[in-house]
Amino acid sequence: MGQWICLICGFIYDESKGLPDHGIAPGTKFSDLPADWTCPECGSPKDSFEPYNG
Amino acid sequence: MSTVAEAPARVEIDARVFNPYSKDFIRNPDPVWQKLMAEYPIAWHKDLQMWIVSSHQLCDDLLKDNRFSPDFRMWEHAPPPKAEADKNDFDKAFEKGFFAVSPQQHLRMRKLTMPAFSRPVMMKIDEKIRDLVVDCFEAIGDAEEFDVYSTLATKIPVRAIARMVGVPTNQEEVFHEFAVNVIKSTRINLGPKERDVAMKATLPGFAFFRELITERRNRPDPGSDFLGSLVSARENGEGLDDYEILSVIFALITAGSDTATDLHTFLIHGLLKNPSQYELLKQKPELMENAIIELLRYGSFGKMPFFRFATGDYEFGGQLIKKGQGIGVNIQAAWHDPKKWGVTANELDITRRLDGNIVFGAGAHFCIGTYLVRVQGRLMLTEFMKRYPNAELADGDGRLDYEWTHHNARRINRLIVKTNAAAAKKAA
Repeated sequence: MGQWICLICGFIYDESKGLPDHGIAPGTKFSDLPADWTCPECGSPKDSFEPYNG
Repeated sequence: MSTVAEAPARVEIDARVFNPYSKDFIRNPDPVWQKLMAEYPIAWHKDLQMWIVSSHQLCDDLLKDNRFSPDFRMWEHAPPPKAEADKNDFDKAFEKGFFAVSPQQHLRMRKLTMPAFSRPVMMKIDEKIRDLVVDCFEAIGDAEEFDVYSTLATKIPVRAIARMVGVPTNQEEVFHEFAVNVIKSTRINLGPKERDVAMKATLPGFAFFRELITERRNRPDPGSDFLGSLVSARENGEGLDDYEILSVIFALITAGSDTATDLHTFLIHGLLKNPSQYELLKQKPELMENAIIELLRYGSFGKMPFFRFATGDYEFGGQLIKKGQGIGVNIQAAWHDPKKWGVTANELDITRRLDGNIVFGAGAHFCIGTYLVRVQGRLMLTEFMKRYPNAELADGDGRLDYEWTHHNARRINRLIVKTNAAAAKKAA
């Protein structure tokens, strides 16, 4: 389970936590998010994210 | 009779519908915003000579649409390009900046600068600026009344950013002037002369920061603070050059100094105007981050919209926007759009679900200083609540006054808080 950071706004998607408020279950891999998924913070597309080792 | 496809009829408004400089609007903007959203979600403003886009949906769409650029040089009335030899530090930093580079280059810059602006780093900034905030409150002490604007709002943001980028305390005033002039240099609501004067006034500041960057580059270790992390940032072995770093400082200033002045006045004004919400926040401080964003949405302190410029002829929102035309993205109105926020759009609710909000913009140019704003706001409000739990607006309205001629914001420049500190102390 890894973390991904939005390069535009710094939002961190944590695969282990998912985004239950947004209907994304804990354990959902970033690669399994829909292609049209956008950052919940700034609305940037999925390709604005990269792996984060904070 | 015509068989040729025609452009949609242009919807037009003028200053009778939306005059951002009028005192009535500055005092009470909501009726104007509601009219714009209901009747003119997109319209050409004949007096301002720009499109005004006001509904939440259209503002959100436009901010995420790369056909509309924040690059001032795309504007049809922008000054002509300068010869390379005539470019000064302002021009060079602007050219390398987030608003001017290509989308690919923009993403590279965001990637290189993200370590300096990310939430984890900003949380560490908390420790670095906490004493600045506490000092401002110490100066107020147990006063029965104080003015939020002069004691907090004009001091905390500029001091916080000055400390982040390494400006000595005794040069904070100079730095503040630099910050204001950086913003004014590309405001299309100002005349060319005023922009030029502001731009020239930034040059000593740019020279100062160039020296600071050079000094860091010459150190064996540039440091892990904000400036140090920019100097040492690398992507595939390539770092940021001096003008790219200057452009980041430029962006930080734009996002976080003069604009953040209004953050502090509007946070306190919004809470004390809604005592039940102030009470709720005191009871549930875990709502703080949501409360700050909601207070910004509710207070909606902007006067002029954000600017974008069409990079070609495009149809948008049922209107034809021509290449080079300016677009005012009226996000302040959108923050009160009942279609997005429902019938309580004009009410403060710190428990509100803020999904899809555009309080910090949206898309590629989402506010880079968003976490800095949250850190500053949280530090200030936490200290305020701790010291003045029984605070209220003096005389019911805080003897509120505005800086009517501010170029950008509905700037509150007097907000008197009655602390009730002595009574609380006596009761204790």
